[in-house]
Amino acid sequence: MVTSLSSMAAEPELKVIFEHDGVFLHPTSDDDEEDDEDEGVDRDLLVSGILRILQRDSEVVVEFRPQEDTVDPSNMLCAGKDSSSVVQWSQGSEEVAVSQLETQHSYETEWDMLNAVTFRKRQTVSTDGAPSMERNCCFFSINVCDLQSITVKDEGWTFLILTLKDSSSLPPLHFHQGGSRTFLETLQRFTLLTQSEGDESCLVVSAPNKALSQSFENLLDDHNYGLVHKLRRDPYVTTFGGFSKVTNYIMGTLRGSEETQRPPLQDENRAELLCDVIPGLEINRQEEPGFEVITRVDLGERPQVTRSDPLTSEEWSQQQDAEGRMMDSTRLRHAIFRGGLSHAVRKEAWKFLLGFFQWDSTLEDRKLLQRDKTDEYFRMKLQWKSVSEEQERRNSRLRDFKSLIEKDVNRTDRTNHFYEGVDNPGLVLLHDILMTYVMYDFDLGYVQGMSDLLSPILLVMENEADAFWCFVCFMDHMHQNFEEKMQGMKTQLKQLSMLLRLLDLKFLNYLESQDSGVLYFCFRWLLLRFKRELCFQDVLRLWEVMWTGLPCENFHLLLCCAVLDSEKQTIMEKQYGFNEILKHINELSMKLDVEEILQKAESICLQIQSCKDRPSPVSVILGLDSADADWSNVSSSHRPTTSTNGHLNDSSSGQSPQRS
Amino acid sequence: MTTKTSLLKVILLGDGGVGKSSLMNRYVTNKFDAHLFHTIGVEFLNKDLEVDGHQVTLQIWDTAGQERFRSLRTPFYRGSDCCLLTFSVDDNQSFLNLGNWKKEFIYYADVKEPEKFPFVVLGNKLDVAERQVSTEEARQWCQENGDYNYYETSAKDATNVAVAFEEAVRRVLSMEERTDHLIPTDTVKLHRKPRSAGTCCS
Ligand SMILES: Nc1nc2c(ncn2[C@@H]2O[C@H](COP(=O)(O)OP(=O)(O)OP(=O)(O)O)[C@@H](O)[C@H]2O)c(=O)[nH]1
Ligand SMILES: [Mg+2]
Repeated sequence: MVTSLSSMAAEPELKVIFEHDGVFLHPTSDDDEEDDEDEGVDRDLLVSGILRILQRDSEVVVEFRPQEDTVDPSNMLCAGKDSSSVVQWSQGSEEVAVSQLETQHSYETEWDMLNAVTFRKRQTVSTDGAPSMERNCCFFSINVCDLQSITVKDEGWTFLILTLKDSSSLPPLHFHQGGSRTFLETLQRFTLLTQSEGDESCLVVSAPNKALSQSFENLLDDHNYGLVHKLRRDPYVTTFGGFSKVTNYIMGTLRGSEETQRPPLQDENRAELLCDVIPGLEINRQEEPGFEVITRVDLGERPQVTRSDPLTSEEWSQQQDAEGRMMDSTRLRHAIFRGGLSHAVRKEAWKFLLGFFQWDSTLEDRKLLQRDKTDEYFRMKLQWKSVSEEQERRNSRLRDFKSLIEKDVNRTDRTNHFYEGVDNPGLVLLHDILMTYVMYDFDLGYVQGMSDLLSPILLVMENEADAFWCFVCFMDHMHQNFEEKMQGMKTQLKQLSMLLRLLDLKFLNYLESQDSGVLYFCFRWLLLRFKRELCFQDVLRLWEVMWTGLPCENFHLLLCCAVLDSEKQTIMEKQYGFNEILKHINELSMKLDVEEILQKAESICLQIQSCKDRPSPVSVILGLDSADADWSNVSSSHRPTTSTNGHLNDSSSGQSPQRS
Repeated sequence: MTTKTSLLKVILLGDGGVGKSSLMNRYVTNKFDAHLFHTIGVEFLNKDLEVDGHQVTLQIWDTAGQERFRSLRTPFYRGSDCCLLTFSVDDNQSFLNLGNWKKEFIYYADVKEPEKFPFVVLGNKLDVAERQVSTEEARQWCQENGDYNYYETSAKDATNVAVAFEEAVRRVLSMEERTDHLIPTDTVKLHRKPRSAGTCCS
């Protein structure tokens, strides 16, 4: 199935996912009675046209084109590479303005998760052809990423009002000949439509924007992401298969201009639409599996979970057979998840958790591995150690890494006994391992934050080469976060917002209303895996639990959800704004209780797991759809070695610390 | 008029390790912690002060200096009233990079008239014996780049720190005659202007 995906990817052409003609655009706003006298603009004017949903690469665009439009192809603007939506809006001499909202490129281009809406007013109107077009040439092409909400209204027929992220609305689209439901259903394949809290007729669009859908594409390799997969394979068949009605419309003849003012049609879909879309937004899986609408999905009770004591040395060694194999790694990992490790076991157990050691290796295997790896480490260390001053002078990248490392080592965990004081050997080791990592992975080199990730590992290992290789294993999973584009961070922030959307839409909406929907305030949590938020001992606990890969994938995202869950009330009650939210979250540092977070995060996991109606993107993020992922059925879990970001798995694939 | 408190946003920019966080902490808490972590992400602290009879709440933003984190810090540039370009007198490279920091700021803060924007330049770590950047060099750069005020500071022994921040406030106040300019609490409107009436046909 993956092969069919890649073959699709080779052709970046435009695909029509949905097409429906006989949609009427009503350029005057309906609710403004005062506008009656509005000069020149005919209130009752309807522009008949074709509504389409188009897909190109990972972009999905909603487009309306006037039927009689003789728009020349050069005006045919589709969402471009940067997901700019385009509204071409000309109203003859009237030039009723589309709200001209400047986009703030600085923000968007850098952090390309907020996609800008670019409005362009068409300067000239040269559609002299059809008389009905003279005054009105309305065309829009909106990237679904730019949709904020869709208001569903009924006036004997259904009409939809698309509202964009910048709060401007497009003129209503009247579905005089049905099709609104199909339109919404089709749209749901690419976005989540959620009933707004205050207004039942308003569907909030949470578009997995471009980057998000890309992140899902990445996940596709590992998961059966049915929805996208199916669409990718054959969007036409998938979409139209169940909707012969739509096909009929497409086959139908073009409507003449007299129809632009036809009286409202009785839409046979209307009743269905009303009962389905407005009251409950039923999920109709039978008819058309693969899409779903979430409206305040009932998550049910959050189950209570308990944590237990850390695994002791005895318990650990009891798990070894005569040759040193760990007999039941699954059980061990569950025990570690449940209670963590007592400190004495960490030095050994972390090597397994991180994947430096294989669970089924013998003591002998491990000795050999360590010997080889120690050699390898010191060879790499020698490489930078033997760089002369002359060479260094000519190697600015190495020089920069070195100076950065020196500065950061001096500012990492200096109050910890292992790193405190001047000339502490811990500092030298921290420095040397980071320098050696630069030689090991010169493309990445050193990025701030890496010293924080190494410090606990070094402290536990108390051995330079072991610490290095364990760090390498950890970095394999954190790599993307540190790369040039920080794609890993962007992906995680988006995944986190998907989870919040399910867990507490109201809170996410609040954050969005405070320009904080990007969740930038979770940046440090995610980049350093709570290293700066918890005291040192708690970091060790949190990390070993996280490294078990239980109870779901990307458990660290649920840790974030757990903390936010505890803070959301304060944030909303005190009506914190953009700055205060950031400050509040930053100030949580060192005030968090690790056991409470772990407990709550696991509860949330169970809650999501038992929710039948969870949206599929959430299942993908947490890896909940794979057969063996049922956390409540503990005994059966032998987890796959798929990892998206940041947690480590049972390394049954047998790779030692090479990046896979 | 004096009863009003203006909220002024200043932002500290400069290479990693020049002492931005140390300067902020010295000024706001009057402490110097040599074991401070390097900055990941963005932080800010508020400080109330009175300058020439004006009550001011200074909101000082501190960011991570490494190039890689650019995308994280730049969104926070908007709405800044003043930018403190910081280098360390014992690190020539950090001095050479001042121009880049200025450019980055102007670009992302979307400064309308860069020539008029109040930059203040800080040469930190004055207490360090081995200087790599001379006072003259630094002064010259400031002169050539827009006649910026220049302060040599030490976060470690508190030299010139308060003076520099107060000067930043003065520059802002005098620049824009801000005496009655009350900035609402949400100074940082990251994106999107406020709701506009919106539809194309209203
Ligand atoms: N001698 C001396 N050392 C200083 C002074 N200011 C800061 N330092 C030291 O310089 C190092 C860097 O200071 P920070 O304040 O962390 O630097 P920063 O600019 O915030 O760096 P990033 O957060 O990485 O961008 C720390 O070890 C400080 O203790 C100073 O005035 N004199
Ligand atoms: Mg700092």
